[in-house]
Order: sequence, then C-alpha cells, then structure tokens
Amino acid sequence: MSEKVTIGPFHPELEESVYFKLQANDNKVVTSVDLINGFIHRGMEALVTQKNFMQNLILTERVCSLCSNNHPFAYALAVEKIAGVEVPRRAEALRVVADEVKRSASSLFNLAMMSHLVHHHDLMKETMEARELMQDLKEIIWGNRMDMSANTLTGVKYDLDDDKIELILKTLEKFEPKLKSLTEQYEKDEKITNRTVGIGVLPKVDAQRLGVTGPVARGSGINNDVRVKAPYALYGELKPKVTLKDAGDVHARAMCRLGDTAEAVRMIKEVVSNLPEGPVVLEKRPHIPAGEATVRVEAPRGELIYYLKTDGTQKPVRMRWKVPTYTNWEALKVMILGNKVSDVTLIFNSIDPCISCTER
Amino acid sequence: MKIEEIIQPLQASLQYAYEIIEDSDSYGNKQLWLKLDDKRDVVNTARVVANLGGRCITATAYKTEDGHVIIYHLDVDGVIVNMEAHTTDNIIDSITPLLPSADWAEREFREMYGIEPIGHPHNERLFLDETIMKGVLNRYIPLSKIMLGVSESDILWERVEKESRA
Repeated sequence: MSEKVTIGPFHPELEESVYFKLQANDNKVVTSVDLINGFIHRGMEALVTQKNFMQNLILTERVCSLCSNNHPFAYALAVEKIAGVEVPRRAEALRVVADEVKRSASSLFNLAMMSHLVHHHDLMKETMEARELMQDLKEIIWGNRMDMSANTLTGVKYDLDDDKIELILKTLEKFEPKLKSLTEQYEKDEKITNRTVGIGVLPKVDAQRLGVTGPVARGSGINNDVRVKAPYALYGELKPKVTLKDAGDVHARAMCRLGDTAEAVRMIKEVVSNLPEGPVVLEKRPHIPAGEATVRVEAPRGELIYYLKTDGTQKPVRMRWKVPTYTNWEALKVMILGNKVSDVTLIFNSIDPCISCTER
Repeated sequence: MKIEEIIQPLQASLQYAYEIIEDSDSYGNKQLWLKLDDKRDVVNTARVVANLGGRCITATAYKTEDGHVIIYHLDVDGVIVNMEAHTTDNIIDSITPLLPSADWAEREFREMYGIEPIGHPHNERLFLDETIMKGVLNRYIPLSKIMLGVSESDILWERVEKESRA
C-alpha cells in the first residue's frame, strides 16, 4: 500500500518555499520523490540588463541574504576581468576577510537548523550563540548583520584599522573554543549521530554525475572547492585546507561545514595579522568595454559562477549566475529515496538550500 | 589537469569548424572559449567532457537578431570550458543524456527562451508554471515599468543620489 505525502510549499520545517510530492510505503519509507520549485522566481536576470553596472552591484547584494557577500564579489570579479583592472592587494585581503566571516556565520546557521530539526535545542542555542559572535563582528565592522556590502567595483567599501583588527582577533579568541566544543558535540553527541549518520546518503558516483559542489560534494568525497581548484583573491597563498568525508550522509556534510568554519578562522587570523598596505579601491572608476567573462567563487554552499557580457554601454547585455543549490537540489532525489518521511526536511536542510539564489 | 589535455581530445572529436581561445584571469586560472560554427558539435564536445570526468556547471542563453546564442559552461578538473553555439531554429541537441548535470540548465533555457533541447529526458517545467508560455524572457517586461513606468529612467536612482549628497 502506497501513501502520498506532500510537504510544502510553506511548512514550519522548511527554510524556504519548495513543494515535495512523495510516495511512501507502509513503513513510512519514501519510494518516490518529486520536487516542485519556482515559488520565488523573480526574473532577476532580466532585471539586471535594465540597470547600470553600479546599480547591479547593489542588486546582486540582494539576490539572497545568506550569500549576499558572494554575489557582489563574483560580479565585481567579472566586471574587473572585462575592464582589465587589477584590484589592490589590500582590497583582495579585505574581500577574503568579509567572505570568511560570512561563510562561518552561514555554515553555523545551517548547523543550528540541523540541531533544531533533530530536536537538540541545547545544541541549537549553543551554535547560534557562537554564530552570534560573527554576527556581532558583521554589525560592528560592516554595519549590517546580513548584507555586509563589503565589495565594490575595483575593491572594497571598508577598511580595517588597528582597533578593528584587535576586535576581530579577540572575537576569534572567544569563538575558537566554542567552535572546538561544537565540533566535538556534532561529531559524537548521540542525539545528533543517531539522526544523521547513514541518513540522506549521496554516493560519490551520484555526486560526480549530478555535478554537486561545496560541502555536499566534499561530504561525498569530491573536492571541487573553487578556492583550491581555481584560486582567486588571496586564496592561492592562503591554501585553504578542505575537509573531505566519504560517508556522503547528513552527518558528513555537517562535519564539512564545521571544518570549513575552522579553516575560515585560520585564514581570517592570517590575513588580518598580515594585512597588505595600500588603497582599498582604485581611485578611478574603470571603463567597461565590450567583452565577456566567466568567473566563479566558492560561496558557503559551493561554487557560484557569473557570466557577464557587455557591449561598451553602461548596462550588461547579458548576465547569468548559477548558485550551488541549483545543482545540489537534484541530488535530493537520490538522498531522500529510501529514507523515512520524518527525515525528509532534515535531509533537505543538509544541502543548506538557498532557493532565493537558485530561482533568482 | 593541463589545458592541452582538454584541447587535444576536443580537436580530435569536433567535426565542423571551430575556434578555441585560451583565456586566463589575473590569478593565472586558465579557461577555454570554444566557439562552434555548427551546433551539431555540442554533443561531441559534451562527450569529450564526460570522458574526462567533467561536468556542466550551467548554460547561458541570449537572443540575437537571427536566433539565440547558447553558452554551456563546463568544468574539467577546475578548468572552465565555455562552449558557444548558435541556433536559428530554436532547437539544439540536449547534452543531458551525456552530462546529467546539464539537466536544469537546459530546462531553464527551454522555458525562458523557448529553445528546445532535443532528447532531454525531462519535459516538465523547472521554475515557471505550465500556464506561462515558453520563452518568457524574450518578452520580459519589468513589473515596475508596467506599474510606474520608471524602469527605463533613473528616477529612483537619482533620488537616492540626491539624498546621499544632501
């Protein structure tokens, strides 16, 4: 006997809008998965062709809240490539600082949601408390808890003086023991492991076939981290150490995110302790000639790619971007099949979905 | 992977005229632009990428005077291959059977630009409802233009600039 189960498009356990149509057997095990999306499609790729290059910088910050630093970062790289300008080294260092702070806060938010979904609310609160340190940093340095607005064309909009560097280092001093404790708990706590180990498995062969990226790929043993494979900004020198897991389950993806966060702390410390001297942005706004560019960065959820085509005017002819969830989403069909209906939202959360970005 | 290890099998597999341009960014990351004269070589390129263990990152489509340009952004071990093809009849052979990672990208340009990927395994819509006609981005009109008539002027932006100067 088969039962139809629907979840969404609006549901308390779903971070964003998606509609699951599942078939489950008598044991409440999922036997077929259908996903319906498109609830927040806004036609942004058409909108960007109506705006000039500076306006689009502001628009890209608003594609979604959780990746609001990566979109303008990648967009700026695309414009700079077409304009043929090199960004000052200090600006590149500051771009890395903003990006890694954002990555830590984003990954911890996902982990907090995971502990909420397994009903481990003490751990959820502890995770959110640690994340709050990064949120405070964002608020103090960038003036906003979500949209840091750090990037601009040819550089960044902020600078760090000695006081701010000290603040960052002191905050990281408080953050590190919390992160260490969280890592141990996520690794060993039975409330977590009982619900996440062996759940929502994405085998390596499927991960490869579907072209998943970010912690979803790394949790299945595939390293396609853009910071390693095609380093940009200062990542070539910083050489991020990637956490790779073979299990391919919800737990493995969570541990990759914790590994990413620990590495983010290391890189932030290294960069702010050796911040290059010089300007943070080029004085002259560049001329953007006709051309095209494909660039990519590593967002908290994986690879973010931007394609930009220009014709010498002030507006793009075409601009397209693809976020990690775009490819990771299809992997849900593999992950969910054969699991309990009660684990579906937990598995969904494990790809750290970002639907605003995906549907644009 | 060295860029030559991608170029050589491509050269051996492509059947029609093409241009390969090597490109690199200021960090030394190399990428390829493969401009195909004939869209039938799209599948040949995808087969090479699949054999090299690559994937499709996404695809970009845009309108031209006589049809559409489609650029597939492929990845082979960290090297991007931008494969550009042109279609005047709004059809192209699907690469999804060879590279399943192209699934969503092809479905998206089908519904946004009305370009049909022939042989694509999934016919259902990706984002837009069935009631919305195919090729919606070909005739996209911003809501702000319909409601306020402001999208083709800088009225809103000028107001922001004026306030920031004040």
